[in-house]
Amino acid sequence: MEKNSLVIRIGGEAGFGLAAAADILAKVFVRLGYHVFSSKEYASQIRGGHNYHTLRISPRPVLADADKVDILLAFDKEALHQHLPHLSAESLILYDDKIQKEDIPSSFSSFALPVQQIGIDFREKKVDNTIFLGAAIRCLGIDIKILDEIITHFFSGKPAHIERNLHAAKKGYEIISSTKISFVSSHPSKNTSSLSFLSGNDAVSLGALKAGLNFHVQYPMTPVSGILHYLSIESTKNKSLKVVQAEDEIAVINFALGASFAGARAMTATSGGGFCLMTESVGLASMAEIPLVIIEGQRPGPSTGLPTKTEQGDLQFVLHAAPGDAPRVVLAPGDIDECYTETKRAFYLAEKYQLPVIVLLDKYQAESFKTFDLEKEELSLLLDFSQRWGIKEKVEEKELLRGMFPRYVDQNSFQRTLPGTKQGMYTCAGDEHDETGEIIEDRETRIRMMKRRMGKLNLIKAELPSNQIYGSENAELTVVVWGSTKGAALEAVEKLNREGKKFNLLQIKYMCPFLEEQTQKFLHQAKNLLLIENNYSAQLGSLIREQTGVEIKDKILRYDGKTFTVDEIYEELKKRC
Amino acid sequence: MLKEEKIMEKGETKFTFNDFARCEQPNWCPGCGDFAILASIKKALVELEVAPHQAVLVSGVGCFAKLPYWARTYGFVGLHGRGLPVAQGIKMANPQLKVIAFGGDGDGYGEGGNHFLHACRRNVNIAYFVHNNGVFGLTTGQYSPTSPKGTKSKSSPEGSIEVPINPLALALAEGATFVARAYSGHLKELIELMKQAIEHPGFAFIDILMPCVSFGRDLKYYNDKTYYLEKPFTDRGKAVDKALECEKEESYALGVFYRE
Repeated sequence: MEKNSLVIRIGGEAGFGLAAAADILAKVFVRLGYHVFSSKEYASQIRGGHNYHTLRISPRPVLADADKVDILLAFDKEALHQHLPHLSAESLILYDDKIQKEDIPSSFSSFALPVQQIGIDFREKKVDNTIFLGAAIRCLGIDIKILDEIITHFFSGKPAHIERNLHAAKKGYEIISSTKISFVSSHPSKNTSSLSFLSGNDAVSLGALKAGLNFHVQYPMTPVSGILHYLSIESTKNKSLKVVQAEDEIAVINFALGASFAGARAMTATSGGGFCLMTESVGLASMAEIPLVIIEGQRPGPSTGLPTKTEQGDLQFVLHAAPGDAPRVVLAPGDIDECYTETKRAFYLAEKYQLPVIVLLDKYQAESFKTFDLEKEELSLLLDFSQRWGIKEKVEEKELLRGMFPRYVDQNSFQRTLPGTKQGMYTCAGDEHDETGEIIEDRETRIRMMKRRMGKLNLIKAELPSNQIYGSENAELTVVVWGSTKGAALEAVEKLNREGKKFNLLQIKYMCPFLEEQTQKFLHQAKNLLLIENNYSAQLGSLIREQTGVEIKDKILRYDGKTFTVDEIYEELKKRC
Repeated sequence: MLKEEKIMEKGETKFTFNDFARCEQPNWCPGCGDFAILASIKKALVELEVAPHQAVLVSGVGCFAKLPYWARTYGFVGLHGRGLPVAQGIKMANPQLKVIAFGGDGDGYGEGGNHFLHACRRNVNIAYFVHNNGVFGLTTGQYSPTSPKGTKSKSSPEGSIEVPINPLALALAEGATFVARAYSGHLKELIELMKQAIEHPGFAFIDILMPCVSFGRDLKYYNDKTYYLEKPFTDRGKAVDKALECEKEESYALGVFYRE
């Protein structure tokens, strides 16, 4: 059998190194020049249960999961049961020989790995995952040297781990006698130097660092703890970066606001529950006009909900959270590349317009991995982050108002002083205030300040690029998506267009301010519309209706903790041909 | 980010009390203890030769929280109970600044109680002054976390059921490195304690007893029930014992309880 793209699934109990196996295997294919998309499904428990990782590997960019699995690495019987329905006649199963041969339908080619027996050589140290990797590499006819290199890099700095795992990989490799799936006959590209393999959390962290982040504060929460981990390690090497784990999300956002007021480029990250605690302070950031970047990685709510699953159920919440009319920007990147760029944009808009900017992710984006071309993605938004926006470094006495710096004065450009600036004193105020930040209650000043704050949204609108349209012009059907559903929908649309159909896709990336004129024009031009969202109530649908008057009646909604695969959307679209 | 440096070169410019005065006048009730605390912080900054642009006064919500609006320094008036995290964020982002957070008994011990515990543990170099009058003033007179058990108020007509919080014992238990109690009626001592707290290289906490002329205790109550410690305890445990004894006997020792 020869293939140029395939899906590998690794399933077993938590605590057996599935994530490491998935990471190492993915990097083998990235190294060979392939595009890889890797997702993980796990339960909210540290040991036991059933977890699985899926790698989709292709010479073409891959953006989401597919339904069919070509190779299953079954660490236990549960993995077999859960994933048999996704296997086809050509699929291959590598399984731990503690699973009975009789449990495996004879129609599949399968190989038992004597994991326990080999494991004896390694005493108590578990190397099950590496034994599987060696065997999988052999089945695919890939040179073990590549696996060895990746393992050596993965465990760099830990010689004992390297030695043990290289040995285990070799043992696994030797069990399989010959290539089972011919995969590597033609590598797609040799030039992969700029390609890396990142999660959404990694891309957000890198984007923030590129934008000059120097103060990150967070309380751990799935699915964005990865950002805290990434930046904590970064802060050990980069002394200009401070990372704080504070006592709760209310403390977190107020730490960030204090730091930002004092001049830091500050960020925080949380999920819906943590964002609930932050909402009052989102209003404070709007009112006191403090730049702040908030990453909100959605998971299914309400309450604790499904803490390790995915959903797009917080859109309407983040648009409105906080009392009163409190201006904020909401950006919703559609893939891991956009996580990088939109985080950069968030820092720019927050600093220039002095308000909170929310970057809305979901679990599927935050914790899935994808090949990422940094050099190419950098071009999507070129800004010089060594400059500061809206910071006044010198204040003349004649500029003062009643002895204070009138920081809240202009309607179109926003200037602040940083504490420590001579004559720059003002009060950064959560109460309604006048130009110097002095508390007021009079109507005229209130109206002036409301107009100043709310007017920012129109100015920002002019800075945003258009929402993106993919696919054929004069399409018979326009698919409307946002966030991580973009990946599966876009692949499905492209596949149908390759088959001669006429579909296109509108991705809404900018939720607030909403580009209503452009969006309305496009929706009116569309012959038929289909909305796909990962929530119960079609929250983007509501927003579109509110902003454009267009109601999209044909909807596909999912709220079971999972997102859509390419195949599922493909089948749904085909029904509408 | 900026390194810790001397706040200003001494002798460069001397700042006076008037340099810290703002045009607007406070709107607290006549006789409120907040006037004394506002005057004391300005005086302490003058005596420590801190420039107005190097000081940041941070507060939350309550009568006391308007204090930064009436001092000519940088100010941050945030949300109810959230002054401490803001103040720590400011100091960590720019250690050159003198950062002073203000709280109230409702704001700091009720809404912001969790932040107080963790600020004691974290020991960031800021000062924290709590205006403690044992009553909610701005919401017109309900009992507060420091009201003695049995306090009758608008929201506790038959007497409150909770024992009062013991802020000094809490701070000591959480590892605070400077713990003191002051009284707004003794200006000279208050200024001196504030200066020591601001100069302390770590988290410095002062619980400041004060009257609420509209809803709470008057000056006479505190004049009768306060006395000064001879010197700070060198043993944290003994300082805790003293703090517990004060609340139990409604007789309040003033001065530095403990410092490292």
